[in-house]
Amino acid sequence: MHFTVSKRCVPKLIRNLQELGYTVVGPSLSGGVVRLAELKGQADLAAGAVDVQDPGRYALGKEAPLVFSSVNGPDSPKRYLHPAEVVLSRLVDGGDGVQPVSGFRPNGKYAFFGIRPCDLSAVGVLNRTLLVPGFEDRVYSALRDGAIFIVVNCTRAGENCFCSSMGTGPGAESGYDVAITELPEVLLVDVPEADSAIFQGIELKPATEAELREGEEMVQRAKEQMGRKIVRQDLSKRMYASMDSPAWGKVAERCLACGNCTMVCPTCFCNTVVDSTDLRDGSVSRVRVWDSCLSKDFVYSAGGNPRLQRMSRYRQFVMHKFAYWPDEFGTYGCVGCGRCVTWCPVGIDITETVDVVLRDQQAAEKKLEAHPVA
Amino acid sequence: MPRHALHTLARGTVRGMRKETPDTFTLLLELGDGRTPADFMPGQFNMLYVFGVGEVPISVASFGREKHLTHTIRSVGRVTNLLATLAPGSCVGVRGPFGKGWPLDEAEGKQLLVIAGGLGLPPLRPVIEEAIAEPGRFDGLKVIYGARTPADLIYTYEYPRWQAADGCDLLLTVDRGTPDWRGNVGVVTTLFPKAGIDAARAVAFICGPELMLKFSILELSRIGIPAERIFVSLERNMSCATGTCGHCQLGPLFICRDGPVFGYPRVRDLFPREGV
Repeated sequence: MHFTVSKRCVPKLIRNLQELGYTVVGPSLSGGVVRLAELKGQADLAAGAVDVQDPGRYALGKEAPLVFSSVNGPDSPKRYLHPAEVVLSRLVDGGDGVQPVSGFRPNGKYAFFGIRPCDLSAVGVLNRTLLVPGFEDRVYSALRDGAIFIVVNCTRAGENCFCSSMGTGPGAESGYDVAITELPEVLLVDVPEADSAIFQGIELKPATEAELREGEEMVQRAKEQMGRKIVRQDLSKRMYASMDSPAWGKVAERCLACGNCTMVCPTCFCNTVVDSTDLRDGSVSRVRVWDSCLSKDFVYSAGGNPRLQRMSRYRQFVMHKFAYWPDEFGTYGCVGCGRCVTWCPVGIDITETVDVVLRDQQAAEKKLEAHPVA
Repeated sequence: MPRHALHTLARGTVRGMRKETPDTFTLLLELGDGRTPADFMPGQFNMLYVFGVGEVPISVASFGREKHLTHTIRSVGRVTNLLATLAPGSCVGVRGPFGKGWPLDEAEGKQLLVIAGGLGLPPLRPVIEEAIAEPGRFDGLKVIYGARTPADLIYTYEYPRWQAADGCDLLLTVDRGTPDWRGNVGVVTTLFPKAGIDAARAVAFICGPELMLKFSILELSRIGIPAERIFVSLERNMSCATGTCGHCQLGPLFICRDGPVFGYPRVRDLFPREGV
């Protein structure tokens, strides 16, 4: 059901969510970057901040008179639902074997306020990935179950965005609790039910035909702005066929194997568990931290290291997104948010990689010459 | 497998330790939750946990009718070096079992080829014991096992019993012999012509280093055993064992969840392939 609300209702909206027991997480300025952080109130919201992104580049540009003005920063809901560091359990050794003294318990529940459709889709990808029946990830499951999603449709495409070609944006289709489109004067909201507690005390006006059409047109314009794309037709099949292409080696020459792409990726889930001993009482915390397939030791085992070459690790990252993920989980592992392009220190563009490895060798090399190693 | 088993740490009390080779040992464990080796299928693996240090994936080496859950381990890293020092009565954490094991039903009534290299033998030990315990189940058992040197052969104390068993042939080889070694020298495939393999009715279970797997498969294919009758157990660094950490992926497969035992057709395009 579509309504409009005044832009002045945002502080009340945040307060309502807090009163419903949520920790409100949304775009917030920190050190010249729009991060996802807890919003105590309207003042914490990065309203007006406009992000300017290019391959390997992120900056804030001239402010815009909007509530939801930035596209995306390095954080996605993954940072909250699949935390970079989480204590899975604390154990003590009572002499008679190891006993758990505590396990993971979510510390509150999150309301994601002002995330973008690509990130909402990424939560959908994580659902399929981390909630495989019989193998549900306990931490993700508990955190996701408590969360609600107030998504804001994009009316401006970032330079590195390609959600439209991945079918994940710029408008949200499903999976949200509230979807907002920011019109020049009002917020157009889509709520499943008119008496939603989230809008308690906020005047909801039925949206007019003209307002609905304006919202659709603004999202459509964002779609048309998008300069990057990945052609999805037979993508998985074509990627498998590319595996022995020499173009992989060429692209990977630029890769530093730093793992930034996997950290900012809203769907990259790889992790490892480390034991941390408390010297005061000898208890051990089993701490899960993010890991990256770009790191050299990621697949190291007693039997050897199958991915010693940087090329094979970079290829793993890309192949996983577009070829393996569909086979594993029935969805692509990429939502087209463009973060890996922005936060790559040498500006490797994943859409270009896919393009290049899918062409013949000669064409691939020609294109790389036009973008020399940074 | 019941759901709780994914993360439940069972107490494994060390009831014995057998030295196999200078760097390899077999742990005999008794589980605090009352489970027995019969609860662990041949080819599955457990995560063994050393308090405050970490977990390692180790295949199940015991046979269902034995008293103790056994794991044969080579000391190669932080956790396995510590496991090697455990005294009887001390405890480890046991999480598991995980993964899909050997498809024994597929080999029923057929000639069973057990082909192992080095530390690839432990996950096949329960298969051998099962075949010996039920002589009529398979139409003959050929155990073809290779190690680097005679000193690297494990389970040597079992060989007389295996050799004496009805319908079982044990063929051994080493890469490098010693003056007192009277047996075969060469890679495992050099034993194939001597093993009396009946390609028309043989089913092969193979585990070992990747190169050994590769050449064994090539040779079996050459003598006419179709891919559908070849099964391999693959090694990756299983870390969570539940398909959520990403470490053990081989292309679109999670070795921990989809394997570690695979029918060869399923992995043919991915293994062995450089850098996948």
